[in-house]
Amino acid sequence: MMAAMADSLEGNLDSLAETRELEAQFGKWMASEQRRVFRLCHRMLQDAAEADSAAQDTFLKAWQALKRPESKNLDDPGKWLTRIAVNTCLDRLRSRRWQFWRKRPKSEDESAILNLAAATSPNAEDQLFARQIAQRLSRALTRLSLRQRAAFTLRHYEDRSLAEIAEILNMNIGTVKVHLFRATEKLREELHDLYFRDSQ
Amino acid sequence: MKNIDQTDFENWLQRRTKSLPQPEVSSEFLAAQRRSIYRRMDEPQRHWISMRWALSLSMLVLMLAGGLTLERRHKTAPAISPMSDDQLFSDLSAMEQRNEPKAIQPIHGLFQE
Repeated sequence: MMAAMADSLEGNLDSLAETRELEAQFGKWMASEQRRVFRLCHRMLQDAAEADSAAQDTFLKAWQALKRPESKNLDDPGKWLTRIAVNTCLDRLRSRRWQFWRKRPKSEDESAILNLAAATSPNAEDQLFARQIAQRLSRALTRLSLRQRAAFTLRHYEDRSLAEIAEILNMNIGTVKVHLFRATEKLREELHDLYFRDSQ
Repeated sequence: MKNIDQTDFENWLQRRTKSLPQPEVSSEFLAAQRRSIYRRMDEPQRHWISMRWALSLSMLVLMLAGGLTLERRHKTAPAISPMSDDQLFSDLSAMEQRNEPKAIQPIHGLFQE
């Protein structure tokens, strides 16, 4: 009986050590991906607080999935995590549709975007123009459909290839192309005046 | 709207989105986020989803029960006996032939000896 207890205890200690090791590895990986995931969520949700919450949910979901033995061998963990992040954001955007009182991003977020735009441009006129573009683009993105927004964000902010976007969004490349084309068309309608001003 | 070439616009958009600054994320913010994630990792898994389903189901049951009660009450309400057209017309003509309203008749009774 003592031998059985010792075996069981040894087994528990082994699994605890394994969990601790997995947790340590996960911590390192999380630290390396955290900034990217937060930015992706911020681009998709246009709200810093919600992006923080979505990024946390993303890592928690990843952790819970990684604890399962069948999902330990991942070909591309970064892409897998991006997929979780995008789906988490899409879920939040879907539930936000019912919250009609929060159509616009928070004013402090908007001003944060504007300040960021101002911080890197060389002269005053460029700064102002960059602010306008950041603000208008941010607003225009909220008018895209959820899939269009996801495809656009992955393409333009994450530099993902069409094949990668298709894999992340679980659709075929043709559908991704259609979503990107429609997103660009809508943005062209929204931003045409800025485009002409910039081209002059 | 003037005609814009799709490819030119795409290139412009790509150039402009690239030049937009990334949202600033401080190390302190990331550290706080990591602490929050670790805290949540140690918490027992919450069963919000199943609770949400249970809540929706109980609401549905309540609504169904309410609907059934209302319907039953409606069914048990005393039914007004249908009146035939002939009956209705005869009542109306009787009312018309009476030269004073029924409500005045008791007042007349007060003055009769």
